[in-house]
Amino acid sequence: MSRTIGRRDFIKTGAGAGLTLVMGKALMAAAPGAAAKAKAPLVGVGVGEDYGQAAVKAVELAGGIKKFVRKGAKVALLPNVQSRHPGSFTKPEILRAVIRLCKKAGAADVDCLSWQTVKQWEDTGLKAVIESEGASLRIFEKDEGLFKPVPIPAGVALKEARILAALYEHDVFINMPITKDHAGNKFTGTMKNLMGLNSPANNRTFHRPNWKTDPNDITHLDQSIVDLNKAVKPALNIVDATEFIVTNGPFGPGQLFRPQRVVAGTDRVAIDAYCASLWALRPADIFQIKLGGEQGLGEIDPNRVLLKEENI
Amino acid sequence: MTGSRRWGIAALALTGLVLSGAWAAGARAVQDDLRALLPAGDDAKGWVKDGDPQEFAGEDLYAYIDGGAEIYQEYGFRRIVVQDYENAAGKSVSLEIFEMETPAAAFGMFTFKRSGRGKNVAIGAGAELEDYYLNFWKGRFLVTLTGFDDTAGTIEGLLAVAGPVDARIAGTSEPPDIVAALPEQGLKPGSVKYFKGLLGLNNVYSLQTARGLAFTEAVKGDYGDDTALIVMDYGSAGARASAWNKLRGFLEGSDRFVRSGSEQGVPPLFRDAKNRYLAFAAAGPRLLLGISPDPAASLALVGPSR
Repeated sequence: MSRTIGRRDFIKTGAGAGLTLVMGKALMAAAPGAAAKAKAPLVGVGVGEDYGQAAVKAVELAGGIKKFVRKGAKVALLPNVQSRHPGSFTKPEILRAVIRLCKKAGAADVDCLSWQTVKQWEDTGLKAVIESEGASLRIFEKDEGLFKPVPIPAGVALKEARILAALYEHDVFINMPITKDHAGNKFTGTMKNLMGLNSPANNRTFHRPNWKTDPNDITHLDQSIVDLNKAVKPALNIVDATEFIVTNGPFGPGQLFRPQRVVAGTDRVAIDAYCASLWALRPADIFQIKLGGEQGLGEIDPNRVLLKEENI
Repeated sequence: MTGSRRWGIAALALTGLVLSGAWAAGARAVQDDLRALLPAGDDAKGWVKDGDPQEFAGEDLYAYIDGGAEIYQEYGFRRIVVQDYENAAGKSVSLEIFEMETPAAAFGMFTFKRSGRGKNVAIGAGAELEDYYLNFWKGRFLVTLTGFDDTAGTIEGLLAVAGPVDARIAGTSEPPDIVAALPEQGLKPGSVKYFKGLLGLNNVYSLQTARGLAFTEAVKGDYGDDTALIVMDYGSAGARASAWNKLRGFLEGSDRFVRSGSEQGVPPLFRDAKNRYLAFAAAGPRLLLGISPDPAASLALVGPSR
């Protein structure tokens, strides 16, 4: 069954509800610094050569899939399919594991949403996984009419996002980036991945005219990413940190780094900070992580994060 | 992926074959049509086109490299053609030919994309073979070939396809003059990177939101672990002095950089959050920046002997 989620239905995160899709109002209501007052966010990390099993372990450590996906839920997934170069897209085996987890939890539908091309999904091997696992791939034209305006009152650089309207037909949104290098702002992870839901035209506003020469315009990109993350909050983030490029990102080809980790949790700042530290980046040096922490999106201080790592 | 040493040796041996191949004497293509640079027929020794080429120009690069086009635009991008190749064994190689605005832009993107771990191969004006991909530049062109594994067969494919492209690009090129500002002594092979703007620089060393970095061109070379010399050219001594004033003001006002030892007439020295020391010196229109965990080493990089 499918249904359209209305704005009044957005906030369904009460204790016991088990439904953790939070959009618009819920996060907008989060006061700056709220993350610091909350209990330590949990980050689960599965480590091992079997990346599918690493994903299963990460989700288990993050609280288990049933914490995030209720029986009958419609689930939207957002893997990264930006490029087919090795280490630049979410691994098919991780997507396969997540689809199976969702179905095991009783999800009614599991859809991958995208405005990227079918060819990109084919070239990365993700389309074949979706089809073999009985999930759906929903590709949308880059038509502004297919994107829903989402005001961001707390936005600093971005006052309105334009999110794929189809997302709001789902109960649960699981963000599935691969962490990697990015020439524009050095790092990409959970927060940057949400640009895959925002309209391409809106994404272009993230780049101001003097972004090549003006440091403030470069920071504008990171601030826009943080603002976008105020408009949409995934119920769960599952990050491919198994093999990824640490040069020539986000498209590659580039030097591969292989920590063989899958990282899961709800706190995007904590997860991105963890992933950045995997390849010796200082989270505070990555504007989007720093700004995200400062603006209440999550916890940048590793001492305030409950990290659970297990080998498989 | 495994076996990188094995195929690395095979790749170097193949390079000779590539350069001596019959196609190397082939006609130079007119470069008005980027497709004319694509190997066709038997040019690539067992590797044939798979599908149609894609072409993108100017701002349309975003349609191909969404989220990653900025750095190409910073260096100066004109257009790209992309073509896949396959062999009888079912292996695939992707060929991307970027036409940049200038040879310096092509050289810059070449240096930006290399990791410093690649093997030099004799293709174009400079080429490096990494685990599963090959980059080379020649004239205004940057050529990237990507395999989807690092097996010997795939590496052969990279070289087999690269050779005819090299042969079709007329002429050769020298790196920009500023590269010579990096002293050769102690310079780590493959570490040179050439920049045209902040995105490139930020990827090797971030000065955060510092002002005074509107250089016209810059170059970086490594001289040891975490030790590098960056030379930024501002076009004139006056422009350099103005830029340095802005940059110094930022550094002195930043909580991320600590002033450390400006006494005794030595160049200004700052320490960053990773305990690396930054030493600065002026040289005509250029500003020199030495970076090292060892303050003496950072000073030596920009010292009179440099």
